[in-house]
Amino acid sequence: MWKKKLNSLTPLSSNLRRSKAPIPPPYTTATEFTSKQILSSSPKFKTQENYSFSFNSSSSKRLFKTPRLHLGLPNLNSNLFCSVSSSPAAISHCWNCNAVASGTAPFLACQSCRSVQPLDPSIDYFQILGVEKKYDIKVETLEGKYKDWQKKLHPDLVHTKSKKERGYAAEQSARVSDAYRTLTDPLSRAMYLLKLEGVEVDEEERISDPELLVEIMEIREAVEEAADTQVLNHIQAQIQKQLEHWSESFADAFCSRKYEEAISSIQRMTYYKRANEEIVKKL
Amino acid sequence: MAAEPAYTVASDSETTGEEKSSSPLPEIAIGIDIGTSQCSIAVWNGSQVEIMRNTRNQKLMRSFVTFKNEIPTGGVSNQLAHEYEMLTGSTIFNMKRLIGRLDTDPVVHASKNLPFLVQTLNIGVRPFIAALVNNMWRSTTPEEVLAIFLIELRVLAEVHLKRHVSNAVLTIPVSFSRFQLSRIERACAMAGLHVLRLMPEPTAVALLYAQQQQQTVHENLGSGSEKNALIFNMGAGYCDAALTATAGGVSQIKALAGMTLGGEDMLQNMMHYLLPEMDNLFSRHGIEEIKKIGLLRVATQDAIHKLSFQSSVQIDVDLGNGTKICKVLDREEFEVVNQKVFEKCEFLTRQCLQDAKVEIEDVNDIILVGGCSYIPKIKNILMSICKRGELYSEINPLEAAVRGAALEGAVASGINDPFGNLDLLTIQATPLSIGIRADGNSFVPIVQRNTTMPARRELIFTTLHDNQTEALIIVYEGDEKVVEKNHLLGYFKITGIPPAPKGVPEINVCMDIDASNVLRVFAGVIMPGTQHPVTPFMEVRMPTVDDGHGWCAEALHRTFGSTLDLITVKKKVQ
Repeated sequence: MWKKKLNSLTPLSSNLRRSKAPIPPPYTTATEFTSKQILSSSPKFKTQENYSFSFNSSSSKRLFKTPRLHLGLPNLNSNLFCSVSSSPAAISHCWNCNAVASGTAPFLACQSCRSVQPLDPSIDYFQILGVEKKYDIKVETLEGKYKDWQKKLHPDLVHTKSKKERGYAAEQSARVSDAYRTLTDPLSRAMYLLKLEGVEVDEEERISDPELLVEIMEIREAVEEAADTQVLNHIQAQIQKQLEHWSESFADAFCSRKYEEAISSIQRMTYYKRANEEIVKKL
Repeated sequence: MAAEPAYTVASDSETTGEEKSSSPLPEIAIGIDIGTSQCSIAVWNGSQVEIMRNTRNQKLMRSFVTFKNEIPTGGVSNQLAHEYEMLTGSTIFNMKRLIGRLDTDPVVHASKNLPFLVQTLNIGVRPFIAALVNNMWRSTTPEEVLAIFLIELRVLAEVHLKRHVSNAVLTIPVSFSRFQLSRIERACAMAGLHVLRLMPEPTAVALLYAQQQQQTVHENLGSGSEKNALIFNMGAGYCDAALTATAGGVSQIKALAGMTLGGEDMLQNMMHYLLPEMDNLFSRHGIEEIKKIGLLRVATQDAIHKLSFQSSVQIDVDLGNGTKICKVLDREEFEVVNQKVFEKCEFLTRQCLQDAKVEIEDVNDIILVGGCSYIPKIKNILMSICKRGELYSEINPLEAAVRGAALEGAVASGINDPFGNLDLLTIQATPLSIGIRADGNSFVPIVQRNTTMPARRELIFTTLHDNQTEALIIVYEGDEKVVEKNHLLGYFKITGIPPAPKGVPEINVCMDIDASNVLRVFAGVIMPGTQHPVTPFMEVRMPTVDDGHGWCAEALHRTFGSTLDLITVKKKVQ
């Protein structure tokens, strides 16, 4: 019965996927780029193909881009370092008072008149939350930045303003929430990083590594047969260790741009995380 | 605009400036807490929240309406004591428990022994509710009853503020469906009130807590580090739990959990305990029976209140015709009789903590509010779950929700406070999942519960049959696997699906919730290999259902069977 329950669970990652609008890559100057719709089950890197996406499309069109239409392209700004510091966006003007964007923070709200700006999808989550674009970030720092933004962008605070600005606030606020949620969780942060690099992780992929399959079965059985919370706590500690291990190996693989390895780390993290959630439910 | 920020002095306030077009003095929305048994009203007076009093100098007014003469009167203005009028059958109360519910709902069935008429036919329509006036049943609805005392509250505020009042923030139980919210909005509209926000009760408390924490930080010049608070709210009708993470005046709701459970359930349990044959005795619902049940109700309620402060109580009530109840009731008995209620409280709290993914050790404060917060057992449950010896004491349990609502009213009206006391924000989360019927009779959530708002989520479905040209999108809210156990919000049809083998057309269903909690559902068809929808996406604001919607699901099933069904897109197989 326990097994059935586990089997019937939707993969955690599919929850993450459905929540994300396709993310245009950062630092792109070209107005058009290509990507592919991944239909095969094995994760592959981008090859130029037929699905084109205009960069100017407004966010309201997000709706029409289904999660299956994954975007991706080689990062134009690719370099050999594993982190990229936030680069200032092109010069922007406030739609309301025409003030020029200043400072290092991304231009989501005007510093002079406080108007919320239209959504700029080229600003990535790391830029929004003011952290380096790398896996190993201090999660504790995100919360403060996130709340700072919400105090500038949240629709509740601008609903005496024009309809246009309220629309901007709704989109910006939702995006800042997505940024916070994505970067807080190690697994979704890892997948997002790969996505920014143009690597799509296929969450639907079945595990083909027999060793991992056996291990997963063993964990399931152990959880199923666990007699008391002490045993469960013990299993949980082991899973935590594995999570940490694969988290580190993702960081290494990502740094050295070994994306196949990075993806396989992500898969393992997905399974350990799910196993952990099952234990928490049982505890 | 540029000159405006000078007003906000040296504070690093991030509250937005006024727009030129808006009037110089925006109307400050009032905060209203309509409880199952009591209601209150408060407003930001320019420097703090002030709770308004009625002519009898009460801050808390009973939520009831008496239909005696031509004009019904409510608990705000009515001078007579509620307890005696309850014996005549002309007084209607507990409407917050009944609003937006069908006659198949167990909560409605449990309300049948109230001292007025609640009748059910079990067919999925609204129950028949009536007051006994001059030996005749005068029918009413929960919306009408709520509207009557909302009008009284509005008049009270207008007298107090010496101005017209139209905007309001109301607190609502976490477990309310969007259909129930639409009923509350209707009651407000009937009372001439425009609803600025409907705030889940514990989130209003969270906002008040956020303000208190910010003031503490200001005073101590300490660091504004994040604080987690567990809020447990239990009134007469509903029970809610919330976990809020607060920093710098911003309260982020991490999880919400709620159920229809409150003092009323304990009262019913105790009444059945004291008079086991109660339901049979009162089934006739004549004037005599109403008087008896009213007497029993008043006596039992009084005893329960006393048991919060003393270990035993003497009950002595004569119901007439030789039925007398003479008994000493102790607190232990009360706790045993209501064991299930307390178990549910514990379950709800644990669920909330688990959903928030916050460890008990990381909870800084435990806030217990609502009428039932005085019950020792409830306090003990919370302290034992959280492994704490004490609860947060800076909040008045009976005033917390209305104070939070008044704060939200001021913030949402765009009011600035030079001292930064309104430098606040609540980031809400969805209390219930929202999804559609698919894969047979399953509920497939699209927006999961506890999703931060505003939010937009989408999911892809496909057709069940070959050459299926239409599909029915039936939207439900809730967290049960089977659709019928969730709340129906509405339905619409997608037409013009190009003929294709089953499983080929992609039906994209997207749900958007804005910061005002308005739900919009978009649906459209995309054929594989194309990027544009076949026909423009349909956009529907939910809920669309009206009264009697209990019929709908069954009628839809009878008429269409599975012909217009959808299934979720299958996992890709290797």
